[in-house]
Amino acid sequence: MASTTAVDVVMPQMGVSVSEGTITKWLKQVGEHIEADEALLEISTDKVDTEVPSPASGTVSEILVQEGETVDVGTLLARIGGEPGAAAPAAPAAPEPAVEETEPAAEETPAPTPAAAAPAAAAPASGNGKSFVSPVVARIAGEHGVDPSQVPGTGTGGRVTKKDILAFIEGGTTPSAPAQPPAPAPAAAAPAPAAPAAPAVAGTGETLELMSAMRRGIAEHMRRSLDTSAHVTSAIEVDMSKVVQIRGKLKKEYESAYGVNPTFLAFIARATVETLREYPWVNGELRGDSIVTRNYVNLGFAVELTDGKGLIVPVVKNAEGLNLLGMARGISDIAARARNKQLTPDDVAGGTFTITNPGGYGTFHGTPVISQPQAAILGTYAIVKRPVVITDERGTDAIAIRSMMNLTLTYDHRLIDGALAGRFLRDLRERLEGWGESDY
Amino acid sequence: MPDTVLLLEHPPTITLGRRTEDGEVHVPDGADVAIVDVDRGGKSTYHAPGQLVCYPILDLTRHGQDVKKYCRDLEEALFRTTAAFGVESTRIEGLTGVWLKSPPRKIASIGIHLKKWVSTHGYALNVDLDPTPFTEWITACGLEDAMFTSLARELGRPVTVDEVRPAAAQALADVFGFAFSETALAAA
Repeated sequence: MASTTAVDVVMPQMGVSVSEGTITKWLKQVGEHIEADEALLEISTDKVDTEVPSPASGTVSEILVQEGETVDVGTLLARIGGEPGAAAPAAPAAPEPAVEETEPAAEETPAPTPAAAAPAAAAPASGNGKSFVSPVVARIAGEHGVDPSQVPGTGTGGRVTKKDILAFIEGGTTPSAPAQPPAPAPAAAAPAPAAPAAPAVAGTGETLELMSAMRRGIAEHMRRSLDTSAHVTSAIEVDMSKVVQIRGKLKKEYESAYGVNPTFLAFIARATVETLREYPWVNGELRGDSIVTRNYVNLGFAVELTDGKGLIVPVVKNAEGLNLLGMARGISDIAARARNKQLTPDDVAGGTFTITNPGGYGTFHGTPVISQPQAAILGTYAIVKRPVVITDERGTDAIAIRSMMNLTLTYDHRLIDGALAGRFLRDLRERLEGWGESDY
Repeated sequence: MPDTVLLLEHPPTITLGRRTEDGEVHVPDGADVAIVDVDRGGKSTYHAPGQLVCYPILDLTRHGQDVKKYCRDLEEALFRTTAAFGVESTRIEGLTGVWLKSPPRKIASIGIHLKKWVSTHGYALNVDLDPTPFTEWITACGLEDAMFTSLARELGRPVTVDEVRPAAAQALADVFGFAFSETALAAA
């Protein structure tokens, strides 16, 4: 029996410190009938999923928040019964014996422009007596052990906004110039991987999209890598003219006889593996207080997935045993399987050194992030014809057109010194520039 | 029903939480593992013998009625459990579960389902199992390495689940203010 007036379903309060929840699943759709107390949807907070029961019997007339969205406590989620869109008194959908709401449901309405996000709630002043502290700010301050009076406020009358306190906790800075220097926040000292700070709120003209599991993994790894290794990048310029010439000769033969394209990357990988033999630390790892070196090279290749979906680093195992053909095959195999999502777990494990190749888009320099726990990553860039000064056998200088390419080695300076990196790049360059017809 | 805690082990199983995403699971052909959809929070995880799985079935209205507090309480119980073996674990803001530092590596996972404030599911503490399936079978990214660990790996010696169970029970009793009356169940 449908109610004549619609009953609102709002995001329930799942605890005093909980200000928002994510809709994970609607168990009923618009037009379906639901009994009072029957589960209507599931929400997720942290690692806790909670069934939210319907506050009334009737037909689900409106669903206002889609699966995957995160909204503040008190946000209207759905309406049961009545005419779609009809206004009605809100019934708290709090699971079971109604929670004593210590915070008003309209805790913080997302403001249209984040800059103006000064909470307007007339909350009781707490803490310092200098200015208002909204419940949201008080909660965040409490969670991080920060005294709100120490936080420079940018809101009306110097009030501390949510943005202010989050900025303070994040990095000890505020969006606009603070009147007083921020005290060091305890939370800022924690070497934790980037924690999701504020619940994201879309401003005018913005759209929100949840990160995929892969994106989150990439984000965590990149942050952790920068927190772990002392990244330094050295670059060198390589004359690839010989490789270009030899590749031109081999290409037809490899393609017709083996069905494999001898890519520039295969040449560079082959030369890299040879060079790594002489630089075991570049192929090594810092593990605790020890330096790990190896008698093998598992060569990782950063591969972009289609549609910018993410990045994966499949590994060519025991690359030290591969000639040019084997390397070309290995790379083409893992790249194809990465793009077709056919990699096995073994394909992405155990890398000892990585090559990333953003040069396909014409970039000529970059500072990639090391794939942990490796010690270095080689960046390869666009091969372009450039005028260069060459010296012939008689010592005469001349300007020639050469196929030039930049290489970067980004290395963990904890283990690898700049001189070592420089020698590695020099030797790698010599190998590529001196590539002979009979070298494979 | 009084507050009840189940402490048990599972055969090799991958469970898919409510927030599991496409592509997150890529188990190799022929791997001896069951894959099960479950109604708990979080994403996919892996269970196997050598992992202490703890399912507190609690009426949270008697334990603070706060989902975040409940997660933090479970983490606290896990800190105390690993501390009983001399392994210091901690939380990482924003990443529910229990971690060792540094580098960050996860020793226990948490995933909860609530219905009318009664909890099901709980935590899984890696005692002595090969953690590679965590990264190799179910992490989509392929970038992760050494992100999961176990008590045995940290201690450099074999540890049995039976050895850990009393410490786990004691830690829960301390954090939640229980007094346990133990009931052994027949193996499922």
